[in-house]
Amino acid sequence: MSTVTEKLEGMDVWLYHGQIYIPNTYSAGAVGSKFLIELRDRKRIVGTRCPTCNRVYVPARSICKDCYSQLDEWVEVSNKGTLLTYTVCNQQNAIQPVEAPIVYGIIQLDGADTGFVHLLGEVDPEQLKVGMRVQAVFKKEREASILDIKYFKPLV
Amino acid sequence: MAKASSKKKAEEKKPEYIHVTFNRPRQYSWSTGRYLGHFYAEAKENKRIVGNRCPKCKDIWLPPTPVCPKCKVDMGWDWAELPQTGEVYQYTYLVMPLWDPHYGEKWANPYPSAIILLDNGVFYRHRLEETDKDKLRAGIRVQAVWKEDYEERGHGMADILYFKTIDEQEAKRCLQ
Amino acid sequence: MPNRVAIVGIGQTYHKSKRPDVSQPEMVAEAVRAALADAQLSIQDVEAVFSANMETFEAIYLPDHGMAAEVGAFGKPGFKVNTGGTTGGSVVAEGFYMVASGLFDIAMVIGFEKQDCGDTTAAITAAVTPIWGKGAATGAIGEFAKQALSYIETSGATEEHAAMIRLKADRNACRNPYAHLKLGLKSVDEILQSAYLVWPLRILDFCPQSCGACALIFASEQRAKKITKKPVWIADVEVVHQEPFRAGVFGDPTGKETYTQHVACERLYKRNGISNPRKDIDMAEIYEPSNWEEMNLYEHFHFCEKGEGWKLIEKGITEIEGEFPVNCSGGVIATNPIGATPVIRVAEAALQIRGDAGEHQAPKDIKTAIATALGGPNWTVLVLLKRSL
Repeated sequence: MSTVTEKLEGMDVWLYHGQIYIPNTYSAGAVGSKFLIELRDRKRIVGTRCPTCNRVYVPARSICKDCYSQLDEWVEVSNKGTLLTYTVCNQQNAIQPVEAPIVYGIIQLDGADTGFVHLLGEVDPEQLKVGMRVQAVFKKEREASILDIKYFKPLV
Repeated sequence: MAKASSKKKAEEKKPEYIHVTFNRPRQYSWSTGRYLGHFYAEAKENKRIVGNRCPKCKDIWLPPTPVCPKCKVDMGWDWAELPQTGEVYQYTYLVMPLWDPHYGEKWANPYPSAIILLDNGVFYRHRLEETDKDKLRAGIRVQAVWKEDYEERGHGMADILYFKTIDEQEAKRCLQ
Repeated sequence: MPNRVAIVGIGQTYHKSKRPDVSQPEMVAEAVRAALADAQLSIQDVEAVFSANMETFEAIYLPDHGMAAEVGAFGKPGFKVNTGGTTGGSVVAEGFYMVASGLFDIAMVIGFEKQDCGDTTAAITAAVTPIWGKGAATGAIGEFAKQALSYIETSGATEEHAAMIRLKADRNACRNPYAHLKLGLKSVDEILQSAYLVWPLRILDFCPQSCGACALIFASEQRAKKITKKPVWIADVEVVHQEPFRAGVFGDPTGKETYTQHVACERLYKRNGISNPRKDIDMAEIYEPSNWEEMNLYEHFHFCEKGEGWKLIEKGITEIEGEFPVNCSGGVIATNPIGATPVIRVAEAALQIRGDAGEHQAPKDIKTAIATALGGPNWTVLVLLKRSL
């Protein structure tokens, strides 16, 4: 891609329009990988339980933020949960996986002690309500990504 | 057949690790400000390399700067044109092409880059035209080669294509 | 007078090109756990956590934002620093300032980099201003190639000397359980046959990209004496800034005569009454991205006269068994997880003072050591360590 320089009208100031393009690969690690593989292969949402404070982290993490315990007890949580909060984004950006308006929610899955950030779908933004019950909808073609869950839809 | 399937089983036992790739250029618009802007204007309009002079230590700074890095005083607006000839002070060239994040592609290969000591003692970094490593050494005389087309200039430092090796005797003869 | 500060815990991960088995935060946690175990402290004892990493070298910006739990920083004071090559040196200085000032009694500093995630050379190139650096920037390696060429032309050193430095680094790395590249190099010829990467640097002449982390726990005098029988005192720290884009990527056009190293040494040596560093200090862990730079740095740090850096390796002075060992750990050319690299220099120098370096412990008694960092806007960071103050 070529770059462009533009002179500002009436000033000795120039604008240089460029880009930074560095290909990156981020590793999920063993714990993150297991969480993503469970989504892909079994359509299951799993977390880890802290042996000391009993808290269940979803998505799974390997270390408890409070007691610094190593978390290696795996638990399956429900694909249903409660909407804790939400927002509607009308601004489209190339980085977003779906077209605007995009509905984001933080969901506490049944059996989890943490909030889970994801998209909401099959819902009229007008009808969103904190406390409403939602359920995960899985994609048909899954690739061990957080977006293997297509979105959460209201539970009727 | 049996062999193949046992191999497959061995592969299945190896843990699978997930990676997420993120390949997206991030756009920016970078302002030169008025000091670098003046350098840009002189390059485009007059094919000149300019630096600014500190009122206190009289050193010439390239890139031009609003504050003298040495004396920490306001530089004012005192400009000096720099010579377009100099000698190669240090150089190298890429043998294995590396990724250039500004263009989103690999560099040309080979890619000779140099620190050039301009004839007034100011250092400047640029590319060299010479790509034959046996013809490169510190001390060779070089001269700036500009983009001739006015419309193509306006990219500051990149208005100079590269520095070419010059034969001093030849240059003198031309001047006579 | 600042309070006295001691290193009471040292932990590092093993280093490798790729660590798909851990996420970045999990890798850092390995070093944190090792440092806590070394100090026999729990994470609750640590009052503040400071981290160091080169932003964009991995896949993400603000890497510290996803790892408060893993590094034990949740709910505590602390922040991340990023100063280029010296990042890890800056975090050591930061931790030192914090405990020396009396604000904290126990603080942890962590350096980390997971380089299997990104492209380091591209990230370094992206760090230069597009207006001045673009087209002339060749990552770090182009800079050190130019510097090596100057060194060849002015010092009388040959490629054989550079190869001898590489051989020393590999011999030491092979004795260090945490080192990344352990090549088992046998001869100078083996190195002279490796391919050129950026002329005149060969593949074996330059540091690798490693994944790894290193954590140190600092304590005030009162606490340190209760925590450990073998505190390593941070006698002094010096940091010198420069402007990296003046005349190009690294600012100093001559490459060889680095202003910040000159100033940093002058100040640190003067404050600590060091007139002959090779006699007054027992060993050094220096940040040498290439073997050529190591010879250059011997001169900058006044381990020898100007133009004589290569003679130190020729005479075996800087070998592990030598009169003045340099990089008993194998150095940066063997292991380079960028943000962690300068922290490892301090960690390894401290291990030498404690006598806990194991297989790569120098035979001579190390009472005083210097650790250095290089690169970025804080071009030079020096850390002087002592067994007793």
